[in-house]
Amino acid sequence: MTTGDWHIPPGLLERYLDGSLDPVGVMSVEAHLVRCARCRTAVPADGGWLATSWERIAAEVAAPAPPLTERLLHGAGVPGHLARLLAATPALSRAWAAAVAVALGFAVAAAHLAGHGFLAFLTLAPVLPTAGIALAYGRRIDPAHETYAATPMAGAPLLLVRSTAVLLTALALTALAVPLLPAATMPSVAWAWLLPALTTTSGCLALATRVPLPLAAVALGGGWVAVVTGVGAVTGDRTLPFRPGAQVLYGCAVALLTLVLYVRRHRLDPAEPR
Amino acid sequence: MTPTVTVRGLRKRYGHTAVLDGLDIAFGAGVTGLLGPNGAGKTTLLRCLATTLAPDAGELRVLGLDPATASGRTGVRRRLGYLPQDPGFYPHFTVFETLDYVAILKEMTDRRERHREVTRVLAEVGLADRARTKVRKLSGGMRQRLALAQALLDEPDLLVLDEPTVGLDPEQRLRLRALVSRLGESRTVLLSTHQTEDVAALCERVVVMDGGRILFDGTPAGLAAVAAGRVSLGDHRPGPGALFWRTADGRYRTIGDTPADAVPAEPTVEDGYLLLVGRTQEAA
Amino acid sequence: MRPLSLRFPRKRPHPPPVSPSSDDHDLMAAVAAERVEALRLLHDRHAPWLRARLLRRCADPDLVDDAIQDTFVAIWRGARRYSPQGDDAAAWIWTIAVRRLASALRRPGGRWIAAAALADTALAETGARLASAEDSVLLGVEHGDLGGALARLSPELRAVIQATVLDGLTVREASRLLGIPEGTVKTRLMRAKARLREELA
Repeated sequence: MTTGDWHIPPGLLERYLDGSLDPVGVMSVEAHLVRCARCRTAVPADGGWLATSWERIAAEVAAPAPPLTERLLHGAGVPGHLARLLAATPALSRAWAAAVAVALGFAVAAAHLAGHGFLAFLTLAPVLPTAGIALAYGRRIDPAHETYAATPMAGAPLLLVRSTAVLLTALALTALAVPLLPAATMPSVAWAWLLPALTTTSGCLALATRVPLPLAAVALGGGWVAVVTGVGAVTGDRTLPFRPGAQVLYGCAVALLTLVLYVRRHRLDPAEPR
Repeated sequence: MTPTVTVRGLRKRYGHTAVLDGLDIAFGAGVTGLLGPNGAGKTTLLRCLATTLAPDAGELRVLGLDPATASGRTGVRRRLGYLPQDPGFYPHFTVFETLDYVAILKEMTDRRERHREVTRVLAEVGLADRARTKVRKLSGGMRQRLALAQALLDEPDLLVLDEPTVGLDPEQRLRLRALVSRLGESRTVLLSTHQTEDVAALCERVVVMDGGRILFDGTPAGLAAVAAGRVSLGDHRPGPGALFWRTADGRYRTIGDTPADAVPAEPTVEDGYLLLVGRTQEAA
Repeated sequence: MRPLSLRFPRKRPHPPPVSPSSDDHDLMAAVAAERVEALRLLHDRHAPWLRARLLRRCADPDLVDDAIQDTFVAIWRGARRYSPQGDDAAAWIWTIAVRRLASALRRPGGRWIAAAALADTALAETGARLASAEDSVLLGVEHGDLGGALARLSPELRAVIQATVLDGLTVREASRLLGIPEGTVKTRLMRAKARLREELA
């Protein structure tokens, strides 16, 4: 494309830049500018502004494009910085996420093979988030723990952000496995793991205000399995822990444990005097 | 001048070993170096000040706040930059992501502002061209600079640097000294080191620690003066029990009692330090 | 374990070294190869006139600066999709920049300069696209009749022409910016074009 020999004369450009140019002149300048490299170069550059502008771009360019999970969270209304923290967490324990998928696979297979096999699925699901939380936070687990322990988000805020990320991941993976369960499993039973999972998670965090987190996770995860099998053995009804009556109990427990967690949250700080 | 950090009767023990045994000290603006052998209690003291460790007993005032309370700790952490002794990273994060993550934990919620700050500290430590490199691909010196960069995020008023010069080559150490001394002009910088040269080069105050107690507290010149009259150069190897080494020109430099044929020499910070620490280790 | 990547590894011919004398297409190829210095050259070349032109759309310099930052970040991330057209990348970059400014202005507090003040700037290019002899008409200084025709349009019609034709926004973007329904944007656009055709016939 040619622009002919016409170029914006200096006086015209000046008036365009300071806003005093008449409308016909303005439109000519703009129409010409986009097609003429020579006249674009003639637009004076403010060196200081240009340097600052570039610094800001360099900062963004160095930053990686946010991953899909982060963009989805952000799109769902989660503030950008929190989305960042949440999305980074399951990646810290990728081995856990893989193990969850494998364990769920086995549980689904068991549900198809054995008559009461779906009980294995219901028993397993609440254990998964507690294991994930234990693997996502702590001095022994997290190589950067000491650095993060000296930031204002140390202790309860960081642990709760990571626990949320782990819980959501575990719940999502488990929910994805639900449709794979045998059709004979009633819809109400297929979701009977949800409240128990929230109970073990809130229980694990509440207990972590007193004992080290890995211990709390083992206690809640193991305790849950022991209670379910124990109740089944004693009463002879292995579905009892998943009946509506038990679900009401779990709901109350979640509320209570969350309250305990809130009241004692400062104890989650590694530097809280004992 | 009012001190930024006050420590009174600080105690910390692990099992039966008292790492800090009733420590009293105060720090103000400027660069203070903590010098001492391994196990002297430097790291334990710095961790208590950086609010990552709760002491067993004693009173702390950091930036006017009490780290024994939750609100005090949060207040300290908002104005603190901390380089731990053994800073760990996520190897699959890039340099930029690593700093971005810490900046978020430092409550920098605005994305643009945060990214600008990350870029600034990267330039400070000379890692600007490594922003997109994965941490696992960094050399030891680069990791150490990355660890320093995260401490500088959000312009803290108090910098706690546990062995910042470890893993740096001589040129990087010089750059770090320039950076730290500039930071020390307007804020409190506490650093621990094994390197007496670092202390001599950039600290206006030096504290020698051993066994959880303070052996010396003064200027680097004062520490050198501890060895005044106790350093000598001779042509013959001193007898057993003396602390000495052979210098480049083939003479023997002795710290302690002057051997018969030796002449007194100008003491250095290192001489003073060795004399102090050697004395306690003999007594132990 | 590594996250699964849906991108295939790309082998590209190594782009030639860039310098301030490289043309836009070479710089874009280097940007696609993740060469930051090429982006900087593009920025230093195009940011000044982009800023001048965007400041005629929005009086808030901070929003303009943000739009310019977003523009070059978008160029960086989208460089692989760039296909060279024409002599340089100016028109392509302008389209990105004005879209970015438009989306920034959609947020609360944004202020798109009203058509009354600026619609005139739209006239030249509007006419250019309507006329067949594009280049000659563009130089509205010499072809005052087009300018006159556009100037006689009502401010509402000119606003629509400005947003859609001059700045290259979609009907939907224009409707959000101007605060009028999409259907109204379309009908006003048709009326404006018809009137210009009449006047220039």
